[in-house]
Amino acid sequence: MPPAPPPLTPLRLLLGQARPNRARLVLGFLFYAGASCASMPQLWIVGKIVDDGLIARSASDFAMWLAAAAALVVAQPILWANGFRQFSTVEARNQRALVRDLTDHLNRAGTAVRDRVSAGELLNLPSEDARRAARAVSDAGFFFNTLAMFVVGSALVWSIHPLLGTVLISGSVVTALIAGPLLGRLQSRQSDYRARIGDLSAHAADIVGGLRVLRGIGGDVLFAARYRERSTALRRKGYEVAGPSSWIHALRHSMPIVFVAVITWVGAILAADGQITIGGLAAAFSFATIFIAVSGNFVGCSQYLVAAWVAAKRIVRVLNIGPDLADDGTARDGRGELRDPDSGLAVPVSGLTVVVTAETAHAADACERLARYRDSGALWGGETVESYPLAEVRARIMLLTDEDHLFTGTLASTMRVPEPQARQAITAACADDVASLGWDRAVEEGGRNLSGGQRQRLRLARALAAEPETLLAVEPTSAVDAHTESLIAARVAAARAGRATLVVTASPLWLAHADLAVWMVDGKVHATGTHAELLAESAYRRLASHSVD
Amino acid sequence: MSTMATAPDRLPVAGPAEVRRAVGRLLAADPRRASAVLLLYFFAAAFSVSVPILLGKVVDGIGAGWSGAQVNLVCAVILACVCVQFVLSRLGRLSGYRFGERAAARLRESVVERVLALPLVQVERAGRGDLGTRTASDVNVVADMLRDNGPTVATLVIEVVVLYVATFVASPLLGLVALVTVPPLYLAARRYLRRAAPAFLEQRAAMSEAAETVSASGAGARTVESLALQKERRALGYGRGQAMMDRMLRVVKLQTDFFTFLLMINRGQLVLVTLAAGIWYFQGGLTLGTAIAAITVTVRIANPTNGVMTQLGEFQQGAAALARIEGVNLVPTEPREARPDGADLRMDGVTFGYGDGPDVLHGLSLHPAPGERLVVVGPSGAGKSTIARLLAGIDRPRTGTATLGGVPVYDIGVEELRKHVVLVTQEHYVFTASLRDNLILAAPDADDDRLVDALRRVDARWALDEGLDTVLGPEHRKLTTAEAQQIALARVVIADPDIVILDEATAGIDPASAGRVEASLAAALAGRTVIAIAHQLQAARSADRIAVVEDGRIAEAGTHDELLAAGRIYAGLWHAWQGD
Repeated sequence: MPPAPPPLTPLRLLLGQARPNRARLVLGFLFYAGASCASMPQLWIVGKIVDDGLIARSASDFAMWLAAAAALVVAQPILWANGFRQFSTVEARNQRALVRDLTDHLNRAGTAVRDRVSAGELLNLPSEDARRAARAVSDAGFFFNTLAMFVVGSALVWSIHPLLGTVLISGSVVTALIAGPLLGRLQSRQSDYRARIGDLSAHAADIVGGLRVLRGIGGDVLFAARYRERSTALRRKGYEVAGPSSWIHALRHSMPIVFVAVITWVGAILAADGQITIGGLAAAFSFATIFIAVSGNFVGCSQYLVAAWVAAKRIVRVLNIGPDLADDGTARDGRGELRDPDSGLAVPVSGLTVVVTAETAHAADACERLARYRDSGALWGGETVESYPLAEVRARIMLLTDEDHLFTGTLASTMRVPEPQARQAITAACADDVASLGWDRAVEEGGRNLSGGQRQRLRLARALAAEPETLLAVEPTSAVDAHTESLIAARVAAARAGRATLVVTASPLWLAHADLAVWMVDGKVHATGTHAELLAESAYRRLASHSVD
Repeated sequence: MSTMATAPDRLPVAGPAEVRRAVGRLLAADPRRASAVLLLYFFAAAFSVSVPILLGKVVDGIGAGWSGAQVNLVCAVILACVCVQFVLSRLGRLSGYRFGERAAARLRESVVERVLALPLVQVERAGRGDLGTRTASDVNVVADMLRDNGPTVATLVIEVVVLYVATFVASPLLGLVALVTVPPLYLAARRYLRRAAPAFLEQRAAMSEAAETVSASGAGARTVESLALQKERRALGYGRGQAMMDRMLRVVKLQTDFFTFLLMINRGQLVLVTLAAGIWYFQGGLTLGTAIAAITVTVRIANPTNGVMTQLGEFQQGAAALARIEGVNLVPTEPREARPDGADLRMDGVTFGYGDGPDVLHGLSLHPAPGERLVVVGPSGAGKSTIARLLAGIDRPRTGTATLGGVPVYDIGVEELRKHVVLVTQEHYVFTASLRDNLILAAPDADDDRLVDALRRVDARWALDEGLDTVLGPEHRKLTTAEAQQIALARVVIADPDIVILDEATAGIDPASAGRVEASLAAALAGRTVIAIAHQLQAARSADRIAVVEDGRIAEAGTHDELLAAGRIYAGLWHAWQGD
């Protein structure tokens, strides 16, 4: 699948989503227009029923107009439903498209995204944000539907009397113009209030998260009191917001009714004057009543469209994050030792190398440079690691750290290799207890249903099963007891004989099996040799031996 | 905890009767305000309904040849009614908001109080995600309901009721005709809600699954690269997108059917009322004005009816959230009121297993002497952490006893127990709060000197440099595992209990500093009983006594030298650890 160029703006994202659904959208607009044309005349017919039917005392005209209204009453919902279905279908497709775009983008530039987007945001993007952004199309549809109703209705009222039409249109416009900005002001006033709600929820989540600490060591009373304090402050803030909110809501609710009253008054004068019929007055009143809802819809749709825009902006920001490493290397068949000039660390083409250091972080950085998780002058044989395609580097050099992720699945899907091969790797990593519940046992996201030690051993097993030519492992057994660690060291050394393995650890249990020991100080290689040779140095001995001087 | 890989037991969810009672309690807690709100809404609606009724009067008046002045007078009354309606609805809204605000505050405070009193075992079994959702997002859903949707729908419902009353006032017969559409509407709404509820839930679930899958692709981006998992992630992500779309289309189908019916019913009602009004008018039973009033009132009914119907789903979600919140109340709690006499902690012949699982401990006895430093070692899965949990009163033994000062640990109230026994595990929770607040948990009135002293004792130099006012937490100052561990240990120093149980408490600190932290901790806890559980053997050598656990039993116990001389399990572990 050729990667599409990333959309640069929210508008391009939203238009790009509409493009493949053009036919459906046109159809949706037509249905909505039809629904409006079926809806508004029903109210106009109310006037006809009153004038030609009731006042003229003509049963046949009464029946005819009522039948016409009934036909429209049946047609309108069907037309509307068809329009609704078109737009909602496109909305659902948009949700799917956004989740797919995000999935593809993470495959392309996941490590860069992870560094720049918080975990919480990454949870929101494919769910809440995708839902809001996808809604844009439905709200555009509703907006059009409302506009069509407004246009058709205004024309019909105009036909009753131009003055009524003028009052109705200007009334609706004024309502929308006043209610819209008022609502905007309300929202900005509420943003502080909303932020406090968020804070309070976070506080509650914090209490739940640390419940064991609060109950086990104390602080529950303190935290409950603090929560109550903040809750009271929020209530007070809510009281403050309640004042202006109540004005705004009452205005929004009452302004249309005011216009109904105005229309009634104007209509009554016109009717008393004989300029319009009584039926015309009844129809105008009905239109005014229905327009209450219509002018509210304009505001509602606009709010949702703004929310869609904001969500689209967040999605676009992430989709615009490019990969953090250039992948334009053309060299092939990397051979020879891996070398990191920054630290002086070299990985021989075969055998177990153990890096001993007091600062694990520096050694881990060196491994990241060697495995090209960051750009550097690291060398592979004679060439820089950068001059090879990333796919080749990843396939042949593997970095194992405690950050490695365990995805939701079964043990089998986690291991990713045929069972016999996987069993060997699991045994080498002493992870048989993980496998004791069966080959199909569930592994939950991040391995959260496993203990820390089990997670570590399972990650090691997975890395061993992949059989990379070069394995760089940072503290692979830090959460494992001594007896097990000793077994793992022996088994890994044996299983990976003939291939390059580098382990960052100060454990003598690993060093016992090391072909080469590298002593790093302050991020630079200080000495290299066999474990026994280096033990002559007392500083090394303190670091790499459990014996007490 | 490797031995706890059992499926989580969900917290209970309240039934409909309990939810109704909870709603009743919320209203009853503030009865005056609640009734004031309802009265204000009622009168606001009554004044707004006067508009079409008075329109009928105008129509009849024009027929009777009213003067312009008379028409103007009635129209002025209409406008006045609208103004009164505006004032009443504003006051109603204000009281409504305040009522909702108070109810929301009461609800969230009581939930947090309840959560803080839950038995720890229940919380662990349920998983924190569930409880977290209930205390944070469920509470917000119900609060929004109380503040916004509740008052809005209450006004709409009252308006609908008043409008129906108005049709009766205009003409009782036409009122009955208008009511004809209510039963089918009720049935359709009920049917819709029954089907929509699970459909909405599935839609939410599909969304959470998509969120989880995509965020896992992000969190594990490096693993995806290093193991070339791109194809799998793509298939999975595409599947989630498809599921989201399918679920939404199901909801759309239900909504389309319901809204179509709703639209038809609303306008159908208008046709029916017009038909009845016309027939009766032709028979001379009705004035033109009354007929028009009835017809225009019916036009009005559609808007608030639609408003109520479109909010039904949200109300259902609110009820579901309230059911989950009330469910927290249903968690059984056992009274823990025993008081220990002294600080002698011991286990005698204890067997224990998790849930319905097999025994993890088999008749284990352990008697730490007061003031002793006892180190418990043994391979992973031997039951070391289980011993810690039983001694800390988190779990109750199946047989045998774990006692403190002569009474079962599990029966001692949490507040009392933690004065004597504190358990520190590998899990070091840091609260989003200042460093000071993170430390003073056990001693709220501790002064800064005492906190600084504790930090010094656990060798947390970074904390001393940054100061007690530093705000900790993932969005502020993020702590490394080692730093979080130091905070946890400093809390213990400040809490100053008789007995400290350290379950792998220094496992994440790198080897060089672990030794230093343990040495200073040992000094800080001198004179206390310390039970340290470890898979590494650093701490063992200097312990007063070492107990080796294997397969849920104490396999051997003694001092370092004694056990080495015995040449059994411990000696083997020791030699292995040294790399001999």
